[in-house]
Amino acid sequence: MSAPPIAVSAPRSAGRRWPVGVLLATVAVAIVALAGLVAPWLTANSPLDQDLLAINKGPSADYWLGTDHLGRDIWARLLYGARFTFGISIAGTAIAFAIGAGLGLFALALGRWSEATLYAGIDLIRALPGTLLALLLIVGLGSGTGPLIVALGISFAPLVAYVARAAFHREAVRDYVHAATSFSGGRIHVLVRHILPNIVGALVTQAAIILPRCIVTESVLSFLGVGSSPDAPTWGRMIADSSRFIERAPHAIVIPVLALVVLTLSLSVLGNDLRRWLDPVRENAGEAAEPAEIDPQLAMPR
Amino acid sequence: MDRLASVLFAVLRGLVQAACIVALTFFLCRVMPGDVVDVLGLEGGLTADQQVEMRRALGLDQPLLSQFVTWVSHALQGDFGRSLRFDQPVSDMLANALPVTLRFAFLSFAFGVGLALLLAIAATAFRSRWLDGLIDGINIWSIAVPTFCAGFAAILIFSIWLGWLPVIGGLLMPVIIIGLDNAGQIVKSLREELKEAVMLPHVRTARAKGLSPWRIAIAHVLPAAAPIMLALSGLALGGLVAGSLTMEVLFALPGIGSLTLNAIHGRDYPIILAAVTVIAVALVLINTVIDILHRLIDPRLA
Repeated sequence: MSAPPIAVSAPRSAGRRWPVGVLLATVAVAIVALAGLVAPWLTANSPLDQDLLAINKGPSADYWLGTDHLGRDIWARLLYGARFTFGISIAGTAIAFAIGAGLGLFALALGRWSEATLYAGIDLIRALPGTLLALLLIVGLGSGTGPLIVALGISFAPLVAYVARAAFHREAVRDYVHAATSFSGGRIHVLVRHILPNIVGALVTQAAIILPRCIVTESVLSFLGVGSSPDAPTWGRMIADSSRFIERAPHAIVIPVLALVVLTLSLSVLGNDLRRWLDPVRENAGEAAEPAEIDPQLAMPR
Repeated sequence: MDRLASVLFAVLRGLVQAACIVALTFFLCRVMPGDVVDVLGLEGGLTADQQVEMRRALGLDQPLLSQFVTWVSHALQGDFGRSLRFDQPVSDMLANALPVTLRFAFLSFAFGVGLALLLAIAATAFRSRWLDGLIDGINIWSIAVPTFCAGFAAILIFSIWLGWLPVIGGLLMPVIIIGLDNAGQIVKSLREELKEAVMLPHVRTARAKGLSPWRIAIAHVLPAAAPIMLALSGLALGGLVAGSLTMEVLFALPGIGSLTLNAIHGRDYPIILAAVTVIAVALVLINTVIDILHRLIDPRLA
């Protein structure tokens, strides 16, 4: 963003460009993902063990990033936290797609009535902001990691369903769909064999855009005290746990906050870049055809 | 469809939306594992007989549907029952909390939308690359930085290290944080919309006549972008609700958000229900007003 616009007039045909921001974001995400995967090799400490003789301590030889208010190793929690933060959000995004795209595309393929019914249903709860919906779902499902994932998935599903609808309608009027239909292709057949391959790019892009939002929502829920269970410390939960000790042990908050912001920032940058690359139609033409239609991107649950 | 029918439709949809959200909340509250009697039983050591007696007194032994009907008929008369933990009428507690949240939400909204408008208009009027960069920056900030993380950073820097602002009860920090977040959500679309509006023939005419950039932006471009601005400010409201939740908890503001969360942790469902009902009705009301205004000013929709 702040880099001077030197290469503005450089030819674009030279293939894929790798702007510095995208490069940095890729590296950051790769590091976090790797850290989560090989966490046990990077630290000998457990993220849950408490050392009551070292509470709210700064960095030391034993605890590289210090300890929190229960004497837990922040470095170990950060590494395992990468695993849980990623894992929970990826699972939540997957559920959002299974429900939103699965149900949405099925209803769209079946015809006008099923489409109208499903989307009227979604419209009814749309006024509820995603965070509040997720909060209420956790109230109903009980707290813990499983309900958290389900609640995240359900609260993001409407967004996916809207994107699926926009992509579906964009393709449904194309000649190849008419051709497939007039060769007596069934609705589901046309959806799976003809339309789906053409909207996969848009859906993958959407997944990349939803993932960081899922991470943010998870951290907000953790902050509000209805996040993952204590044995699955996400970065959001680390922040929430240490919040009362912000004066005595600011490092216990600053470290996970920085990690969280770097991760969501990097994922957002990557998502935007992916969108430019895989889904150029939307980027160039926009979706301004319908006067009332707002980019479903924007209607992000928060 | 003529305008009256269109407005009536919007009102009807709003009513159905509010009813659905309230019903959803009611049933989610009732299926939540462990009711208030269990919680109180654990804390106060009620005997099994006392628990049965308490459930009967609270109407918890009735079928769900009749509980719902009873609750709705009371709620319509402004009676949301009594708090199970504080033994106060819920409506009193709401009345105490509502002004806090309303003041906070109004200030944040005004700051956020004002900032977004100012930036978008200035960027359009002066076609400034620098301002566009700033807009991108705020947009990415709002997507990637959870508001509570920004809140912790602000507390650490301005309250603890610099000692300028109080943590508890101060409105300045939360209003700026939520306002920035709001602005970031809408400013980019606003800018895109204004960019398109600048291309309109009547704007080109105005420029050819030699009007000043600000005059063109405010008198000619802005009215063309009014419908999308309405829709965008509706979107910002969702962020406001989630923002109120986190900021009220973080900065100890005794508003609806704090009330709701305390109620969720204490299984105090008359308060959860009443608070979510108030939030839902307020959101639906505002969205309906926006919808109606939208239909009135944009002839393509009516």
